[in-house]
Amino acid sequence: MRKSLLALALLALTGALAQRLVVAQGTDPITLDAPLAQDSPSATVVTHISETLFELTPEGRIVPLLAEGHSFSDGGRTLVIRLKRGITFHDGTPFNAEAVKFNLERFISRELASPFAFLLSELERVEVVDSHTVRLRLKNPFAPILAHLTHSSTAIQSPTAIQRLGAQYRDNPVGTGPYRFQAWQKGQFVDLVRNEAYWGEKPPIPQVRFIPVPEGTTRVALVETGQAHVAVRIPPQDIARLQANRAIEVVRTPSLRTIYIYFNTQRPPFNDARVRQALNHAVNKEEILQFVLGGIGRISDAPIAPGIFGYSPVGRYEYNPQRAQELLRQAGVATPLRITLHCPTGRYFQDIQVCEAIQGQLRRIGVEASIQTLEWGAYLQETQRPLKENRIQMAMLGWGTVTGDADYGLYPLFHSSQWAPGFNRAFYRNPQVDQLLAQARISTLPQGRQQLYREAMTRIWQDAPWLFLHSEVQVTAIRQEVQGFLVHPTERYLAYKARFR
Amino acid sequence: MLAYALRRLLIAVPTLFGVVLLVFLMVRLAPGDPAVLLAGEFATPETLEAIRARYGLDRPLPEQFLIYLGALLQGDLGESARSRRPVLEEIKTYFPNTVELASAAILVALLTGIPLGILAALRPGSGLDLGVMVLALIGVSMPVFWFGLLAILIFSVQLGWFPVAGKGTLAHLVLPAITLGVNATALLARMTRGALLEVLSQDYIRTARAKGLAERVVVFKHALRNALIPVVTVAGLEFGSLLAGAVITETIFAWPGLGQLLVGSILARDYPVVQGAVLLVATTFILVNLLVDLLYAWIDPRVRYD
Repeated sequence: MRKSLLALALLALTGALAQRLVVAQGTDPITLDAPLAQDSPSATVVTHISETLFELTPEGRIVPLLAEGHSFSDGGRTLVIRLKRGITFHDGTPFNAEAVKFNLERFISRELASPFAFLLSELERVEVVDSHTVRLRLKNPFAPILAHLTHSSTAIQSPTAIQRLGAQYRDNPVGTGPYRFQAWQKGQFVDLVRNEAYWGEKPPIPQVRFIPVPEGTTRVALVETGQAHVAVRIPPQDIARLQANRAIEVVRTPSLRTIYIYFNTQRPPFNDARVRQALNHAVNKEEILQFVLGGIGRISDAPIAPGIFGYSPVGRYEYNPQRAQELLRQAGVATPLRITLHCPTGRYFQDIQVCEAIQGQLRRIGVEASIQTLEWGAYLQETQRPLKENRIQMAMLGWGTVTGDADYGLYPLFHSSQWAPGFNRAFYRNPQVDQLLAQARISTLPQGRQQLYREAMTRIWQDAPWLFLHSEVQVTAIRQEVQGFLVHPTERYLAYKARFR
Repeated sequence: MLAYALRRLLIAVPTLFGVVLLVFLMVRLAPGDPAVLLAGEFATPETLEAIRARYGLDRPLPEQFLIYLGALLQGDLGESARSRRPVLEEIKTYFPNTVELASAAILVALLTGIPLGILAALRPGSGLDLGVMVLALIGVSMPVFWFGLLAILIFSVQLGWFPVAGKGTLAHLVLPAITLGVNATALLARMTRGALLEVLSQDYIRTARAKGLAERVVVFKHALRNALIPVVTVAGLEFGSLLAGAVITETIFAWPGLGQLLVGSILARDYPVVQGAVLLVATTFILVNLLVDLLYAWIDPRVRYD
């Protein structure tokens, strides 16, 4: 009797296990309150529970999610959003215009001090038109706002729950999403269960568990033994072994983060575009990708990465030391040219190693770069000094276009109004680029914006305020029995379309 | 005994104050603007200002310290910059798990280290002695992260005996406890062997043997008691450092302890949590130290008259 009971219990247990997808992330979520969720593990969990008005597809298209449709008017200063009907939050609160107004106002409130408040900094006020229509009044025409409303931090959460739970909401999130929050044992797991009343296509897998596993090799071991179905951020040294394992699929997904070295374009020798182009030709990116990054990366063909709305490939600086030397000669630069290259260490994947490889390659065209490293905090401070005090000649940085829209990937970095202490640390200035980027903020037609960005990026590419390097690639291990698990370029891991074979 | 205990307690106070000051300065004198680090790469000037005001970073350093100290005396460790939870709440979640792991590790060390040390001491110079001492040498010098990863590869991935990582069943505890305890095991084995050998060479042991007592009684009843006094001290101190030093083991085995909280917070420059966690670790260490001292004074009365 007891034996059969035990067997029954075991059966039930394995049954439950087969029904539950386990995802090993690098860390535990920090908070499940959407506007405060900065890190990728938090954003991943939040995305399953709470939904945004619009959605950025992995291909970089913006489509309605909780929204039904939208229209701009008043020269782009007003955005009317029609909402889907018949949706309720997990606690039964109806999803409507009031809920949207409540969430967006909370998002930009100073009391909340969301680190992402800048996404809606152009938002002046939200008006309820009728039960399922809201009108957003903007301070200036600002087309990228649609993309910004795809960001997981702008998710619409249950106003009742937020008001009722106060600070405890972060541990008990309530949204409209395909999964409901079930339990969070800090440092151990977050459990989600399928939302049986989901308005859209119901997820095939009834339960999802996220576990925090800081050590990469341990995450790999979890997937190898089947104790987890998905492991994120696979360490390079483990990739070959996993690829040889038939039970596991290794998936590479380009991320939205671009790694580059910028030049101070206002000071010699880098105030001459030919010198900057020369350095772009002198660096062998294929060699760096293969030998320094272990193949994990994607050589840049535009200032922003694919998957971002507005991306299109605009070129390549082929590796050509002769051409580089010729350009230096034309610019009247005497070799050896001594310069300082600032580089962070441990901030980006293989950062200092990439700098060292570049140092070696530059030597071949008579450029002697000495590498300077600083602790990250001090490094940031040095790069953001205004021109007068700025001592940096060239420095490596990374930029994650977290909004998924080219505006955020280009305007802060290349518009001349954004010079340091803003994010334009190259002190780049090109009136045509300024104009194109400003126009793309106003133009409310997606195709028009795309065209404007292509032109702006082509000019930027020729001006070469950066030494264009690569964008990061996320490597994820997924067990073969899982199908349809999605790794989003925004570094979110999505289970709601996944199923067991 | 009471006077001694009080005196020791009083000495602990300035030490604790020193720890508080040091921890406070350590996180603030690190290069870079803490507000910039907290706000992340997307921060606008307004966000930075809001963050400075929220965490009092806009005030002069001495003032910040006084505010911190005042709050601390009321048991307020501040609020995590990332999760915005009270630091005390965060620590309460993670610290018990570290205590659990460290206790298991010291248990492993006591239950294997002492018997091994005794075995070696009973046959000094034998092959057994040599084997135990070589093992102890390896145990002391082996890097924890290497041992831990190897343990996972062999016992979880290859043999499938134990779960890879995480916390839950007793089986989850085995590999991390051994990994964390292996150093202390080696140390205790050597200590026990050394102390027992010394005691065994003393006159009263010869007397005991001369009056015809069985060797078992000589060793376990007469020698071991005295030999274990220094071993107790070392074990106590080791427990303190296991609590403080579980960071690497916890990281490898995804054990939800203070180490995991600490590493995550350091990487994100979550100062309030780093301060709180380091303070707790230091305080625990001081307290364990104190307890060991008292225990020692209780076992060996000579210590009290210094």
